[in-house]
Amino acid sequence: MDKLERLLNLTAALLDADRVLSADELRRRIGGYPEAKGAFRRTFERDKEDLRSMGIPLRVESVAGSDPPIDGYRILRSEYAGRDLRLEPDELAALHLATSIVRLDGGETGLRKLGGASSSVEADEVGHVPFDDNLATLIAAAAQRRAVGFRYGGVSREVEPWRLSFSRGHWYLAGWDRLRDAQRLFRTDRIAGAVDLLDEATRPVGTPTDPRGLRGWELGDQPPVTVRVAVDEDQAAYLHHLLGEGSEPPDGSGVVSFEVRDLGRFRSFILTFLDHAEVLEPQEVRDDVVSWLEALT
Amino acid sequence: MNSRLTAPERMTRLLAVIPWVVQRQGAPLDEIVARFDYPRSQLVEDLTQVVFFVGVHPFTPDSMIEVDISDDEVQISYADWFSRPLRLTPGEGARLLTAGHSLLGGQFSLQDDNEEAGPLLRALTKLSMVLGEAADQAVEVSLGDAGAETLAPLRSAVGRQEQVEVEYYTYWRDELTRRIVEPSRVFSDNGNWYLDAWCHRAGARRVFRVDRIRSVRLTGADVEHLPTDAAEIFTADREDPRVVLRLDPDSAWVVEQYPVESVETDDDGSVTVSMAVTAVAWLERLMLRLGPSAEIIAIDAPLSPDLASEAAHRVLERYR
Repeated sequence: MDKLERLLNLTAALLDADRVLSADELRRRIGGYPEAKGAFRRTFERDKEDLRSMGIPLRVESVAGSDPPIDGYRILRSEYAGRDLRLEPDELAALHLATSIVRLDGGETGLRKLGGASSSVEADEVGHVPFDDNLATLIAAAAQRRAVGFRYGGVSREVEPWRLSFSRGHWYLAGWDRLRDAQRLFRTDRIAGAVDLLDEATRPVGTPTDPRGLRGWELGDQPPVTVRVAVDEDQAAYLHHLLGEGSEPPDGSGVVSFEVRDLGRFRSFILTFLDHAEVLEPQEVRDDVVSWLEALT
Repeated sequence: MNSRLTAPERMTRLLAVIPWVVQRQGAPLDEIVARFDYPRSQLVEDLTQVVFFVGVHPFTPDSMIEVDISDDEVQISYADWFSRPLRLTPGEGARLLTAGHSLLGGQFSLQDDNEEAGPLLRALTKLSMVLGEAADQAVEVSLGDAGAETLAPLRSAVGRQEQVEVEYYTYWRDELTRRIVEPSRVFSDNGNWYLDAWCHRAGARRVFRVDRIRSVRLTGADVEHLPTDAAEIFTADREDPRVVLRLDPDSAWVVEQYPVESVETDDDGSVTVSMAVTAVAWLERLMLRLGPSAEIIAIDAPLSPDLASEAAHRVLERYR
């Protein structure tokens, strides 16, 4: 028997069942499984993995009255089927257009489940946005108002996500940091390991910090320090380019102020000006740059 | 698609095809092929030789799916178990939402009128209702910082195959230049907009960061060089000197963010990379930024092996 036929029959049997079915019951009901016990087990395990990889919600519970307990399986129709989006053809075509011109890393978009690709859409890809499993979990958590846990900067965090923003090549998570009892912004690519879903969020969604215009040295847990820097006049164009729209051009003095929460990142930034910029104050930051450079000579 | 689909790939398609056909009480074979990216011969084989035999115990005719293909029209009945599509996984929902918001935030004029934004907004509203109470505010995407005043004329120049004059800021050399270019494509990668164009000043294909283009002027002249294959975002000249750096593990991010030509990872986690040096200032900036966690192993003339320490001295002069 074709593997596809066996997988479809297995899914139909699990959806049809009004109670959990043991592996042996399933073997008898479906057919197409190897006779030998070991070979059957291996095939059955692979089939379960295949169903899960397709996103089929396979439930595992003990068979009633079994002692010692035996694993039983079923699929609840309410968990299997999604809510019908009732998309109009032009709405499905718009989603198809979006998935055609923007490429996201890895994984399916699920467009087929909504009715597949509309043949009227023809578009070249114009953009690429990085994407991964952690991001999917964070977006789902923000959408469903669930808290998440992850490691960041060597510390465990518990966060109620508000919004995921992609800006200048990085994804940012804005949300409520429960342990610090304050709003925080995180770069998702600096999250170490997997993001775990936790309990329900308790605080209302606030106004997320807009990462656009925020710089690396403005992210961090250090208290903000105002750093004044003398920048050569001929660097005005470069500075404007780095800081983007809305940045204050240096006044006549050529002295620019920055709010800094991460001194290491700020030092990296200011050194990109080479000898066209000089930290004026505070003295600690000036000393830090000098000793960094002296270590290189 | 020519490669053969795996059993799970065929199954995910069938679990979407069956409810779709059932709901509209039959559908043309060709439309299923196009919509679900299902090779025609494979689809016919799977429907007639697999799905036709699917059912539940005791596999009597009334407990099995019925499939009929006549005149290239597919009918499916008694497929009660599969009458509704499988729900979106969190990953699929998040990807759809992200793709939709990318299009919304991409500053597309969407073919002169705003027709696309209407259906897209409606689709995203419906999708958000399924994904969660706060889904409509959960994602925001900016494909790049460039404004419509730059993107719009560049896109129209691509469409009309027209030469443009741009004022461009070259980061590597820290200079503002004016040049005539022949745009062939505007695209976004990693949060930046790029222009792929033939550059008259360079006499070659170049890729420009759109947010570094200060002004665009349509010239009215037709393009002379037709686009061929996609150009590399970073184009090093063959004559550029090369540098070999050894990086501590905590500086290994350079591999991801800089155009390295070769990478070797050592047992202790340190990384040795080779790069083309397109401008001295660029390598000086990188070395000062990396500090003691990077070391120059080899460097081509005329660049100095003491480049980092010389640059550090020069900056320190300002502080004395």
